[in-house]
Amino acid sequence: MRHVVVICGFLVAGAALGQTAAGQAKASSAAKGWTQPKTPWGDPDLQGTWTSDDCIGTPLNRPANLGDRLYYTEQELAQRQANLERQQQNDLVETVAPDARVSTGPPGHWGERARRPCKQTSLVIDPPNGRTPDLLPEAKLRPVPEGAGNGNPKADSWEDFSYYIRCISRGVPGSIFPVIYGNGQQIVQGKGFVTIMQEMVHEARVIPLDGRPHAGPNIRSYMGDPRGHWEGNTLVVETTNFLGNRTGIVGNGGGTPTSDAMKLTERFTRTGPNEMRYEITIDDPKTYASTFKVGFPLTQEPGYQNFEYACHEGNYAMFDSLSGARAQEKKAAAKAAGTK
Amino acid sequence: MRKIVVVLTAAISLLGAAPAWGHHAFAAEFDADKPIKFKGTVTKMEWINPHAWIHIDVTGEDGKVTSWMIEAAAPNALLRRGWTKNSLLKGTEILVEGYQAKDGANRGNGSIITFTDGKKLFVGSSAGDPGAAPGTTIK
Repeated sequence: MRHVVVICGFLVAGAALGQTAAGQAKASSAAKGWTQPKTPWGDPDLQGTWTSDDCIGTPLNRPANLGDRLYYTEQELAQRQANLERQQQNDLVETVAPDARVSTGPPGHWGERARRPCKQTSLVIDPPNGRTPDLLPEAKLRPVPEGAGNGNPKADSWEDFSYYIRCISRGVPGSIFPVIYGNGQQIVQGKGFVTIMQEMVHEARVIPLDGRPHAGPNIRSYMGDPRGHWEGNTLVVETTNFLGNRTGIVGNGGGTPTSDAMKLTERFTRTGPNEMRYEITIDDPKTYASTFKVGFPLTQEPGYQNFEYACHEGNYAMFDSLSGARAQEKKAAAKAAGTK
Repeated sequence: MRKIVVVLTAAISLLGAAPAWGHHAFAAEFDADKPIKFKGTVTKMEWINPHAWIHIDVTGEDGKVTSWMIEAAAPNALLRRGWTKNSLLKGTEILVEGYQAKDGANRGNGSIITFTDGKKLFVGSSAGDPGAAPGTTIK
């Protein structure tokens, strides 16, 4: 399920500038006058609660008409900033718009908001066209679960639903890629370990830094087996040992499920007191024709914190969706029998 | 307006393509052929994950009271957008417009919810506003 929220007009007018090295550098260089703080034991200190909110609504795959251009122009960013401000003003309007339309979908107020415009035109930053590589034939045969983008809301069993909808897991990429809400990532460090606690579905990734080998091939999990090390001030996390055919790489773990051969390499680089660059290289030789890279900023925001997400507690939608499907079947059967 | 009004809207045909975002697929849960529009009195605001639910009592023309559940946003998102446990108290009257659950149960999606004076139930912004939630110290 691609949770794309169109929060601003998508502006391409005057978009003649290509992606530049300067633009790349701008995204990853450290803030002036800022020095990476260290923990008492000497590791780079990344601790805090970070969010990918600013890229809410940025598509995973770049629209083809933007070609190889990763960054918006200054003019486009100014327009997107104006759109964000207009949205913020609209959020504070106390009365319902006269043309508000009733729908079966969720109301607009459900979403959390970006605080500043995302500079990127897509979350995919490599290959240069900003699009995920082709799926391999074997990957195309894997069913996409209900609620993960299959567009067929008529499940026979709870097992037809995505692992996200079942409150089980969103997978590694799906737990950090920006979605409509719940994008919190709390990083806690101890000597020899980094832990990343993610708000939605409440994952806690415990990442050893001591160079130990990965678990054996029979040990597999939804979130894989991570190992971390430092390259300068960058935390590099390599994760393998995934269960295959569970979650995909779209937000919330949607899309075609990845395989048990997937290897993820993530890089967390703090670039300022409240800014961090996140990049992930996805290498899944049983799913994608080539490796690719996704990247976006994480920020710390005043007052932002992770809240409880006891997902199973009130997941009424699971019952409702299954009973709804059964009710539809009865209705169709009655109609076919002519009894209505 | 103390009755359930069946809303026949010409927009129904457009609703099949409503985006399925949030924690579940709305098209699987709510029925575009069962529009609802009524006034109800809040009996409970259920702050529960993955989505909050507003419980209301609706009095029909015959005086019979039926209980309904109206789905709301994720509690965490509501908090970040300025909501608190006091934002919707028991006894408050609200107007609800939306669609009923496919299985015919008294549950709705609450596409538009207002107070009886027409003001929106959900007003606020998470952008630059941490709301009432206690904050963490930023390093």
